[in-house]
Amino acid sequence: MLLGIDVGGTHTDGVAVDTTAGAEVVASCKVPTRHDDLLFSVTGALEDLLGKVDRAKVRQLNLSTTLSTNAIVQGKTEDVGVIVSSGPGIDPHSFMICRDYHVIDGSIDHRGNEVRALSSRQLAEAVDACRGHGVRVFAAVSKFSTRNPRHENMIRRTVCQGREGGGCEHADFVTLGHRLGAALNFPRRVATAYYNCAVWRIYNEFATAVEKSLAAMGLGHVRVNMLKADGGTMPLPQSRSLPVQSIFSGPAASVMGIIALTDIFHDSIILDIGGTTTDIAVFADGAPLIEREGIHIGSHPTSVSALKVLSIGVGGDSAVTVSGGEVRVGPNRLGPPVCLGGERMALTDALNVTGGCAVGDVAASRRAVEELAGNSGLDAGDLARTAVDAAAKTIFQATRELVEEINSKPVYTIHELVEDKRVVPKKIYLMGGPAEAMKMPIFQRFQLSTEVPAHFGVANAIGAALTRTTWELELFADTQRHVLFIPSLSYRENVPSGYDLKDAKNDAVNQLIMHLDSMGVPLAAEDAQITHASSFNMVEGMDQVGRNIRVKCQVRPGVVATLGGR
Amino acid sequence: MLKANRKLGIIFFPAFDWAISPTHPERQERLLYTQDQLREEGIFDIEGVGEYKPDVAAEEDVERVHFCFPEVSAVATRSHLISAGGAMKAGDLVMTGERECAFAMVRPPGHHAMKVVHGSRGFCNINIEAVMIEHIREKYGHKRVAIVDTDCHHGDGTQDVYWHDPDTLFISIHQDGRTLYPGSGFPNELGGPNARGRTLNIPLPPNTSDEGFLMAIERVVLPILEDFKPDLVINSAGQDNHFTDPITNMNFSAQGYARLSEMIHPDIAVLEGGYSIQGALPYVNLGLCLSMAGVDYSHIREPNYNPEQIRQDKRTGEYIEELCRQLPALYFNPPPLKPGGDPRLGVISGDKYLRNRQIYYDTDGISETQQESVHLCKKCRGLRKVETRADSGPLCLGVEVPPDACPDCRARGYQLVEEAQLKGSNYRYVQFINRLDKEYLRFGF
Ligand SMILES: [Zn+2]
Ligand SMILES: [Zn+2]
Repeated sequence: MLLGIDVGGTHTDGVAVDTTAGAEVVASCKVPTRHDDLLFSVTGALEDLLGKVDRAKVRQLNLSTTLSTNAIVQGKTEDVGVIVSSGPGIDPHSFMICRDYHVIDGSIDHRGNEVRALSSRQLAEAVDACRGHGVRVFAAVSKFSTRNPRHENMIRRTVCQGREGGGCEHADFVTLGHRLGAALNFPRRVATAYYNCAVWRIYNEFATAVEKSLAAMGLGHVRVNMLKADGGTMPLPQSRSLPVQSIFSGPAASVMGIIALTDIFHDSIILDIGGTTTDIAVFADGAPLIEREGIHIGSHPTSVSALKVLSIGVGGDSAVTVSGGEVRVGPNRLGPPVCLGGERMALTDALNVTGGCAVGDVAASRRAVEELAGNSGLDAGDLARTAVDAAAKTIFQATRELVEEINSKPVYTIHELVEDKRVVPKKIYLMGGPAEAMKMPIFQRFQLSTEVPAHFGVANAIGAALTRTTWELELFADTQRHVLFIPSLSYRENVPSGYDLKDAKNDAVNQLIMHLDSMGVPLAAEDAQITHASSFNMVEGMDQVGRNIRVKCQVRPGVVATLGGR
Repeated sequence: MLKANRKLGIIFFPAFDWAISPTHPERQERLLYTQDQLREEGIFDIEGVGEYKPDVAAEEDVERVHFCFPEVSAVATRSHLISAGGAMKAGDLVMTGERECAFAMVRPPGHHAMKVVHGSRGFCNINIEAVMIEHIREKYGHKRVAIVDTDCHHGDGTQDVYWHDPDTLFISIHQDGRTLYPGSGFPNELGGPNARGRTLNIPLPPNTSDEGFLMAIERVVLPILEDFKPDLVINSAGQDNHFTDPITNMNFSAQGYARLSEMIHPDIAVLEGGYSIQGALPYVNLGLCLSMAGVDYSHIREPNYNPEQIRQDKRTGEYIEELCRQLPALYFNPPPLKPGGDPRLGVISGDKYLRNRQIYYDTDGISETQQESVHLCKKCRGLRKVETRADSGPLCLGVEVPPDACPDCRARGYQLVEEAQLKGSNYRYVQFINRLDKEYLRFGF
């Protein structure tokens, strides 16, 4: 039995999926999200599910939360000491992300050679200054640390006063830039390391609380995985040092839900219409698209990889307003719809009046629509229809712009770069609470085959439950320097001059399998996918002096089972 | 977040699968570290800086510029067509206004490719700047173009393509031809009779450092650019003047290159040579990108940069100062072609300009024998005719009707091509470029 819980902006959805024969949803629930107490929302959903299934059979809980996202949006983050060494290039002060940001002299070049040692005097002063401000979490980032992590390691040692391993009296946590991924992008590495630290404490407190609650419910044996924005999961113990990866995982849960619920193989649009927002995702030839470089957090680009999803402010709770004769839906939510005890007419009230659905107190919806219509000199039926159509139109326009933007650049799916691809959507999949009610209005706008899959209301939780653990690593080898380095694992090894691309591919796959195994995730070699492999002869004068090898390898996102006996 | 003051488009085409030979300077590895540096700097995250894919140049884009014998596909690979297509993309980005400036960071290079192409010389097969400029002119109307070639080697190919074009100003600043390939690029090379002074060469002595380069830019190039009033300024941005370059002897730095670019303010830059692939290119290319985008570049510094060690000596400085005094006059008051002058630079014979040359293709080991003639016309820049032979190969003919051709020159062009096709003609291959009617033909026998 696999449990999936997706803590959303309005609701927390949960499902229990029995995978003994195929996959079957045996229980589901929907509870309101309490933003001030996410743990309560999680345990609430858990208790609901456990009332319907045998808890002894539960093997795994996959969890998607808005915890880190909310902490950042609401400014409930912790002060971070960001210590960088950058060497020549763009002025590193341009990337100052917080008050305790220190640039230390020192330089590593593109090959990973140390050009200039780190200034230990400046470093000591920077660490002291941070301590003076009471900073307890640190981000250590150097330019080209994914080629050579020496400076980041030295910053860490200085912060911890020379201690290796766990014990570190002067800091509770240090993020090393190269552990966040192998991509070359110093400014993104700085921002990602900063956010990883900024949410570290709040995330870890939550993780501990979840573990305690599970134990108290007799679920101590259950494996817990956290969802990532890239459509994969990471085991809870490993996620504790990579909390930034848990950000924006909600949309990924929905996308994975569609993969579990449907036979998607065309260019398609996924619309997840929630309470406050609609998430729009695009599939190319049946595979979800990714943000190639990583998502923005606030105004900062990061290296957190994610499925490509656009969120717009249209949902069942979106307020309906009339101004100057124009009817608008969203982008604000002003409490729940009137049918569910709210005070302002929302999209769900309009749908109750058009007959699209019958949620809560339908008569209350009618009264609210009539009142707003009366104030605006409109007919109530017209107002409801116009509001529903306005919502569909907003979604349609945002979708069209998203597809245009996608087609203006190379298209990357979770599998690969698709050369010369133009995405031309042929089908729409609708999910989320108002999905069934919005089906016809959406179809009329898009004029495309529109499907609302089974379990559409909890498709996100199903996606969460069935999403598998993913990992990506990149291997660099420089046979002139006789070094092999896998940044995300901090793994370094000496290699002989004869080391070649074939060796590198083998090593990358083996390291991926071994790493997943150490997390308790078995992986067959054929599921490790090499997404990039290159080898350059390095020449000095007229002589070949070595090879510069790069191999990227991943477990690509996917679901462990699909529903409906497929 | 950083923001560009000038919207920059970067077309990156490293041709990671193309090399002249495995250990040749022009090999797969050449832009690898540049790519790493640009990515690590996060340059594409700067607001206003965008990355673009190159287009692929069509055969016609090449035939608009070059006489290729026996044909385009024999002298240019797909990598060459993409490199030229990258430059064309840069042109389109600027001409359509999508970007204020663009940098085609592409290889293989092109500035040693002349009007006639039998193969590769100086690592170049087709002239990617010329393909771009003529694409721009054909698509967006005629433009006055200034090319400032800052590669360490004389841009003899570009000079040859534009030798007769009064609307294209070509200025090459390079290491003195007495000390470096291709051994040309002297002040007396000033262009054909209808375009005198539109070619200008600034040969600098070995070991010239930032000071000397920037002095030549300030005192020679800038006043001429100001006078010429181009619609477009193109920088042939070779980077082999760098103090670490393995095949040249100059002492220019990344800071110097960025400053130079800031001074000439190019609309489009096109990468040319530069073979210090680890110690120079990552820093120079970064410097050019930031400078073009109007972003602070003052923190760029090569790992082994020591300005004292590479400073030019006093004599070099004085020599350059003297050059700067004399050279501008060659543009503002170009001396006419003298009778009995160097036949390689051309002589006047009756109503024709004639030029006889032996051209060596060092990369491919080809020796070309060429006679060029241009009809001296009062009404247009004149019909261009080239007879050429590679080694002991067949005789080939190229005929070009210029974009401003008068009816007489146009008619003469058709007549030449017709005669060449008659039985008993000496020509095995004939190529006809008619810029006036946008007609590009080739015949083989
Ligand atoms: Zn050169
Ligand atoms: Zn004429």
